[in-house]
Amino acid sequence: MDLIQGLLQIAGGIATTLAISIFSLILGLAIGLPLSFVRTYGKSLRFLVDGFEKIFRGIPELVLMLLFYFGIGASFPFPFKNAFFTAVFVLGLRSGANQSQIFRGAIRGIGEEQMVASRSLGLSRLRSIAYVMIPQVFIFSTPGLGSEYALLVKDSAYAFIIGVPEIMKKADLVRAQTYSYLVPYFAAAVFYILLTFPIATWLDVWGSRRKKKLGL
Amino acid sequence: MECKDLWKTYKPNLVAVKDVSFKIDEGEIKLIFGPSGSGKSTFLRCLAMLTLPDKGDVFLKGECLTKTGVNLNKARARIGFVFQHIYLFRHLNAIGNVELALRQVLKMSKGDARQRALEALTEVRMEQCANQYPAQLSGGQQQRVGIARAIARNPDILLLDEPTSALDPELTGEVIDTLRDLAAMGTTMLIVSHEMPFAREVAHEMIFYDEGTIVETGPPQQFFTNPQSDRAKKFMTRLIMKTKRE
Repeated sequence: MDLIQGLLQIAGGIATTLAISIFSLILGLAIGLPLSFVRTYGKSLRFLVDGFEKIFRGIPELVLMLLFYFGIGASFPFPFKNAFFTAVFVLGLRSGANQSQIFRGAIRGIGEEQMVASRSLGLSRLRSIAYVMIPQVFIFSTPGLGSEYALLVKDSAYAFIIGVPEIMKKADLVRAQTYSYLVPYFAAAVFYILLTFPIATWLDVWGSRRKKKLGL
Repeated sequence: MECKDLWKTYKPNLVAVKDVSFKIDEGEIKLIFGPSGSGKSTFLRCLAMLTLPDKGDVFLKGECLTKTGVNLNKARARIGFVFQHIYLFRHLNAIGNVELALRQVLKMSKGDARQRALEALTEVRMEQCANQYPAQLSGGQQQRVGIARAIARNPDILLLDEPTSALDPELTGEVIDTLRDLAAMGTTMLIVSHEMPFAREVAHEMIFYDEGTIVETGPPQQFFTNPQSDRAKKFMTRLIMKTKRE
């Protein structure tokens, strides 16, 4: 196997790496955004959110991945014997815990006054959250979301351990076929940088511009 | 609008509203003034049901807003509130700020809401800034948009909490002019303010509020010439001296 072939094989994992990262980012958003508002406004459910955050931020991704795929997957082959699903599921939960904290900080930064102004017009709490708070939460959170995305791209490499054919897995295959340790892993490193750095930076710049324009 | 025996206590034993009864009729303009920290803002917020009173009742056009089971969102939709620190929605441009409640509360169609929002902005002479974001506007312009946002729903009453006191002196004039226009149109207004020349000109009644309660009520003339209570007398003297210095 020549070098070009090997690199192409590793590049073939890019789509899967991106898919894991983006799906888990979206799952994390679907979990984290509601949780951040529950944590801010819901009095009685607060401890549940805190518990969820502590658990999923406190356990290494590798442990979660193995636990769900081999452990829980033994009793529930559907859906946990699907390695891709389990990778997205585990990283999505972890990301939900992170994003909940990111968004909570944004809500605090926006301030209670925006909520009061909206309620004074007769908007319900839910509508105020949807039309006044959430648009500003996203603008506030862009740097945090950028680094969360980068974190997910990097952590998607853990999916290698349960056999998802992403960059890391492919690099390891090429390593096994070529007996070269340096080139495949180095190629993987370069691909990860290319996937994380531009998007995270772009989000950061876009967010700062938007914030400056709106005086947030 | 009317309130009876209204109470609001903040822990620990800080009484912002102490057994206040008050009435304002349609088309009337009343002005509340008094020392800072005396509970004027809390009183206004209680009337708008933004802060829920501990005891007592608030009535709007005969309808009790304080009894259980009242839809507070619907009640608030009938009241216009203008904040001292404005609180425009920073992610929306001027017209977006005014439109939001028309769309989401009154459920107007996109076209109707836009048209009504433009009318409201025209009333405060801000139609030329409709597409600008709050950060691009001066404080006085922001407050005029804040007023447009409050009046666009055609509320039964407009409550204004020190609408000019967070602005530079040179910017208060344009906001006062806007309020003068609203007064000329017959808008029912309850204003917390220390703008005495303005009060003298438009207020039907002035209310001196101190230590959580209404101390003295009367026409502006009474306060400028011969306040009845000692506290009002002292306060007016200081206020007039301050106005003269400026």
